[in-house]
Amino acid sequence: MNKTVNINLAEMVFHINEDAFEILNNYLNTLKNHFKNEESGDEILKDIEGRIAELFTGRLDKKEAISLTDINEVITIMGDPSQYDDEIEQEQSQEYQHKDEDLRKGKRRKVFRDEEDRMIGGVCSGLANYFDISVFWSRIIFIGMLFLIGPGAPFLYLMFWIALPSAKTTAEKLEMKGEKVNINNIEKNIKDELNIVENKILDFDKKYTKEIFGANSFFRKIVDFCIRVITGIFKFIGSCFGIFCILFGGILLFLIFSFVFSGAEILFQNHPMVEHVYSNFFNNKSATWFSLFIGIPMVAIILFGLRLVNNTKIHMNYKIGIFVLWIISLFFLLNSAKDISIEFQEEAKNTIIENIITESDTLYLSMNDVDRVFDNAFDANGFKVTPFEDNLMGIGMQLDIVKSKNDNFNLIKEVIARGKNKQIAKERTEEVGFEFLLEDDNLIFDDFFTISTQKWRMQELDLTLEIPVGMVIFLDHSLEDLIYDIKNVHNMWDYDMLRHYWKMEKEGLSCISCED
Amino acid sequence: MKIENTQSQMRKGILEYCILSILKNGEAYPSDIIEKLKKAKMIVVEGTLYPLLTRLKNAGLLQYRWEESSAGPPRKYYSITEKGNTFLLELDSTWKDLAKAVRLTTKTKKDE
Repeated sequence: MNKTVNINLAEMVFHINEDAFEILNNYLNTLKNHFKNEESGDEILKDIEGRIAELFTGRLDKKEAISLTDINEVITIMGDPSQYDDEIEQEQSQEYQHKDEDLRKGKRRKVFRDEEDRMIGGVCSGLANYFDISVFWSRIIFIGMLFLIGPGAPFLYLMFWIALPSAKTTAEKLEMKGEKVNINNIEKNIKDELNIVENKILDFDKKYTKEIFGANSFFRKIVDFCIRVITGIFKFIGSCFGIFCILFGGILLFLIFSFVFSGAEILFQNHPMVEHVYSNFFNNKSATWFSLFIGIPMVAIILFGLRLVNNTKIHMNYKIGIFVLWIISLFFLLNSAKDISIEFQEEAKNTIIENIITESDTLYLSMNDVDRVFDNAFDANGFKVTPFEDNLMGIGMQLDIVKSKNDNFNLIKEVIARGKNKQIAKERTEEVGFEFLLEDDNLIFDDFFTISTQKWRMQELDLTLEIPVGMVIFLDHSLEDLIYDIKNVHNMWDYDMLRHYWKMEKEGLSCISCED
Repeated sequence: MKIENTQSQMRKGILEYCILSILKNGEAYPSDIIEKLKKAKMIVVEGTLYPLLTRLKNAGLLQYRWEESSAGPPRKYYSITEKGNTFLLELDSTWKDLAKAVRLTTKTKKDE
């Protein structure tokens, strides 16, 4: 059994074992003693008491009273005053206040070049400090000026370089956010700079023989200066390129995102043909992978640009993370692409022959002339396919006319389709249909072929009409887009064959209405 | 001459710099600051921090506001003042100078 004492610590009441109380009391007295000469000793003590109260609260979850162990642990956490390292000289902070007041009153305010953060001479960063903007913007503005006033900009830069001293001491660095540039300042600074150069030339004269190749010789300084100018030019080109990278990457990234979040619906999901290829490809998930796949390199370009302009470095872990994400997106995209390509793996061909029975010896050939709009169609091998009613339709087939091997008119339809395997491809060819109308001696072709399925698998159709020897055909002008490379004894072009009667001779088609 | 003295002399000024730098990123409550400093092995005992915070506050470099806490007495949330920022700016450049000085002076002949 232990006797407990009630204490009030930071306005909170604690039960504490008597032996523990003794230790705590001693500890607090030691602290009080330690801080007695301190200006705000009481406040410090209150803060520490507050913290101790907080630590106690954390320990009283499962019990009621503070034990000796608790006290010892808390004291270990808070530490003995001898460990506090706190004898700071008062004078130091007083000195600080003076400097600070000077700055506030604006006794001495100047524009400096900031050589610590320089690309060439630190002019941009110095001016940025002065106007209290990010150096990034002042450099952008400078490069913008380069485009606006051309060669004037480097000249202006050189003027500033000469006119502005570099902030060397701490005080000067503090004063960088200083007063405005005025003529007096520039004049004074140019004079200073000229004086320095003059002195250096005098020095150079004097020490000519001794120090020409020495570490601090004028010659050496000129070389240093030249090297600095050259590296500066490279850095400048680098930052121009960096800004280009940022703009380029930013614009592309913006385009990608507007494309994925708004345009994608129009361009992918709602494209009437996409669902006919692979309905699961351009869903939201693939759009995400797609935007990551394109977007990550853009982000990388922007980061590269930032690094060139502002020396912003990205932690290696982020780089690796981003790269891994990109590889994953690549993997998913390739996977989707593979799924699609499998669907087109095998090709099958099917030939259907239809007899055309007619009493007449002359057949008038024509085609339904319908102006069709084939927006949003898939276009492959000269065939265009688009949704039609519930299925698909295509155009682009070609008609050849050859000699029949028997006494009949025959229409030969050659159908090609693709699929996962030969079997499926073969089945697909049977889904392709082509109609024509025979009225007396008029043979009217449809201008399209139908595909009685939802799936587009590169279905193709080609037509060949066989004419028995001795029979005559007339080619209507509506056939212009249908006939292709029809052999005839006159070697006439397809277009010239229209609007004429042709008789199938043993040698081939011969024109009977043409004038020689 | 005790090594501990030199070590604590070195740590003293840097500690203020660290505290201001931590608070530069936004307000914090002493335990947060302690945790960061402990992680960085800058302090060993928590008691070190309170006198420093009070002194920085008295110098006008820090300010605080009270916030009620569910786990104990109200907490002081410290934040850096404008003056503190200026102070920190100077410390930044001083630190750079010191680091450079140390680098240059501790360089051995072989490194040159």
